[in-house]
Amino acid sequence: MADDPIFQPLRFRNLTVKNRLFRSSISGRWDNYDGSGTQARINWETKFARGGIGAIITSFVPVHIRGRIMPNYAMIDADDKIPFWREVVRSVHEYDCRFIMQLSHSGRQRDVPGIENFMNKALSSTNKMDGFHGLLCQAMTRDEITQTVQHFADGARRAREAGCDGVELHASHGYLFTQFLSSGINDRTDEYGGPLENRARFLLEVIAAIRREVGRDFHLQVKINAVDNNNALYPWEKKGNTLEESIQVCKWVEEASADGLHVSIGSLFPHPQLPSGGFPVDEANWWYGGMVSGGVRAYLNYALFHYKLLRPIFLALWNRTKKDMPVEAVCAAEAREIKKNVSIPVINTGGYQNGALIRKVISEGYVDGVTMARPLIANNDLPKILAAGRDLPERPCSFCNRCLVNAIANPLGCYDVRRYGGDRDAMIREVMSVFHPRQYV
Amino acid sequence: MGEIKTRTKDRILVDEVHESPVDRWLFRLRKILLLALIALVILVVVGRLAWRFLGDRPATYSAIEDHFKYGSIGSEPGGSLRAAVGGVLPPYWIFKALPKICPDLLPGGYASLGLIFEKGHDLPIGVSKRFRLGFEQVGLNCAVCHTGTYRASPQSEPRIVLGMPAHGLDLQGFFNFISACTLDQRFTADNVIGRVQEAGGRLGFFDRLLYRAQLVPRTQAATLVQRNRVGVLLGDQAMQWGAGRVDTFNPYKALQFNWRLQDLPRDELFAASDYPSLWNQRPREGMELHWDGNNDSLDERNLSASLGAGVTPVTIDHPALARVKQWTLTLPPPEYPFTIDADLATRGETLYRAHCVRCHADARFRTAGVVEPGWQVGRVVPLADIGTDAGRWKSYTFLFASNQYSLYPDSTYRFTHFRKTAGYANHPLDGIWVRAPYLHNGSVPTLADLLEPAEARPKAFYRGYDVYDPVKVGFRTDVAEEGGRKYFRYDTTLPGNGNGGHLYGVKLPQADKKAIVEYMKRL
Repeated sequence: MADDPIFQPLRFRNLTVKNRLFRSSISGRWDNYDGSGTQARINWETKFARGGIGAIITSFVPVHIRGRIMPNYAMIDADDKIPFWREVVRSVHEYDCRFIMQLSHSGRQRDVPGIENFMNKALSSTNKMDGFHGLLCQAMTRDEITQTVQHFADGARRAREAGCDGVELHASHGYLFTQFLSSGINDRTDEYGGPLENRARFLLEVIAAIRREVGRDFHLQVKINAVDNNNALYPWEKKGNTLEESIQVCKWVEEASADGLHVSIGSLFPHPQLPSGGFPVDEANWWYGGMVSGGVRAYLNYALFHYKLLRPIFLALWNRTKKDMPVEAVCAAEAREIKKNVSIPVINTGGYQNGALIRKVISEGYVDGVTMARPLIANNDLPKILAAGRDLPERPCSFCNRCLVNAIANPLGCYDVRRYGGDRDAMIREVMSVFHPRQYV
Repeated sequence: MGEIKTRTKDRILVDEVHESPVDRWLFRLRKILLLALIALVILVVVGRLAWRFLGDRPATYSAIEDHFKYGSIGSEPGGSLRAAVGGVLPPYWIFKALPKICPDLLPGGYASLGLIFEKGHDLPIGVSKRFRLGFEQVGLNCAVCHTGTYRASPQSEPRIVLGMPAHGLDLQGFFNFISACTLDQRFTADNVIGRVQEAGGRLGFFDRLLYRAQLVPRTQAATLVQRNRVGVLLGDQAMQWGAGRVDTFNPYKALQFNWRLQDLPRDELFAASDYPSLWNQRPREGMELHWDGNNDSLDERNLSASLGAGVTPVTIDHPALARVKQWTLTLPPPEYPFTIDADLATRGETLYRAHCVRCHADARFRTAGVVEPGWQVGRVVPLADIGTDAGRWKSYTFLFASNQYSLYPDSTYRFTHFRKTAGYANHPLDGIWVRAPYLHNGSVPTLADLLEPAEARPKAFYRGYDVYDPVKVGFRTDVAEEGGRKYFRYDTTLPGNGNGGHLYGVKLPQADKKAIVEYMKRL
């Protein structure tokens, strides 16, 4: 283990992580509806800290209610949320695990609007609806942009006050930052649209605002798309940002004083290429119903999931580009290109599970660290398993993505019953373990 | 439980597809709904097809006169789709298109065959329409042989008289034309469909398909079958019926009983006879009906006559026929429309009573059906006594009567009254003025001629012309052609056309004969 590149510390400018393994952002709907936290979230994050992960990037943490992707996610939109997050940080730190809050804004990609947002349109760079679910939106005014920039700065301040070890700006996967960055989405004609430097303006303004708010000595990383592949689902959509454009944005982000980059792909979430793996249409049939009233195309999607005869249509679209993509390390090559062009550490997400592969991408200079979610849900102690010298756990993640689809409606966990030997009760027990220990006993 | 495979660059991910109880319930429901929908669709399709192909919907008429002229008595093809029976005409649209397909075979159209057209009707009187076997069919009804016209002069409009013998109808020519045209090389599916559409028939894709696959070949096959059976009676070599005559029983032998006519004694085949009138049927009940008096039941006579129109025991429309029968029971003959010399007629009445009334009743029969006791009206007179041409008498045989008893088995319609008689029956003479020409075979053109000895009667004359001759009382017989329509030259020397016999009153003085003829205008 002493020579294992996976278990070498990773030093950012303002943060050192004990190994090269990060838990990437993922969450279930187990906080209070109003965004205040619960014991379940503390339990959830602590599971991974206990399992040996070097750092946890939180779930999607909205900086404002209009930027929430769905209710029951803990938020950082007000100072009264700080004590809860302080408690999460305390619990995670017990295991020498760093805690990075992912500051987020959904923009138009607001999967379940909730009662607070149900009667308004989402804020975005554009008036054009999201292509997958048909989520309606309106282009932000300059005042709204200014206010949103400040929301991020306030969020960063609160994160620091809560004791977080850093913040990550979620500028990938089709959320608000992507909606500004991507040429496939941003159709503005003002100084926030058009040329790349205009499209990057909003992100760079947020970084600057955060630095003004929290100073230069607080860890700030940006999660960013190496490529958008905005047309991966529907071929008639625009392709979005290229790798070259992303490299340029990453350079600007570095210049703007970011401490690290978290490279991903895909201008929507979920995207056919990330999270990699299968698409469980049966689970989509069961749980997508909660989203159908949120988007104008959602009924069509629901029909595609619901009727067996129609499922092949959706799967053909969804899977059509997968044959050219690996399941693990889906965008390691692109991350390497970015890494070549920046001097800050680059971490990478995309189906990492196999120890040998992780070791390879780190030792061969593709990336400085990897982030993972689904393999960790399947095996919370995956870092310890890897540390023990095994490349795969006994019951590895199958990349079935049942966890992903269940997250819309159910407690997050591994829902692949095959991993429990077909024992559904055992699966439920494992999923429900997040509710232990109880807050009140 | 199904399976989903996701193909990636480095592996194929396999996942199971699960079903919840709700999924299974919904699947079952949808399966039931789908099956129900399929069943419904099948039901609708089958129902539609059944409505089309099993439906039997005659064109109906509320007025009895229209029913008589155009209503169906069931003579259209029917029975089974695979092997239709009955009918002597092709389907409606083909029937309409035939004169356009073979214009050279019938330049004057159906009217040139003596079929009578009225304004507002696309079919002639006596041709009915009925939806059967998936198509509009046409058939013959009573009116085709029992409706005629007369004119006062060539310039007059024809007066149509219902129940009158169709003295202008060339039925043999009609069948010859249909036979020739449907077997003509121009009778192809393309041509038929084209002409039908020209004639106003709207044929959809399905219809056109059926015309090609079924209707056109079936029509030709039906013609071939008919020609095979009755060919001996058609064509140039057969006895020429001419206008106003039909060979009643020989086609019957072939079409109903599949007799091989060519095997029959040849002298059975010269039997063409005039159509009788249809009026005043009630007082005729019990009389020996048909020219040879072979049946004394009105119902059996009517039923048997309808068989000649193409009806079969399977296809007959009994209620429709009964409606016609009911109407004919009291249908009055037409009044003589020209001047009658009252004094002469009164004198003629006395002579008529002396020489004719015993066999033919008098003018009271017209209005009250009077037949006095002791009269022999409607009774068979032995051939040796009456002496008229034997052809018609010979055509009706004992063997044929026996076969007739096999029709309508196990039903109340079964024939029981047919018999072979010894001669020809006399008949009441109501409306006799418009029943020319006279004698059973129409061999004597006028009443005046009939009162002449056989040798003095016209040897040859034209028949079918409808301008009236009020002097000799009958139709004019000296017109060979008018307006392109040719009339039939009747040659009394040919077999079956003999004009001898019925020599009653021929020796009376001419003045008496004239008086009798004048009186007969009142009958």
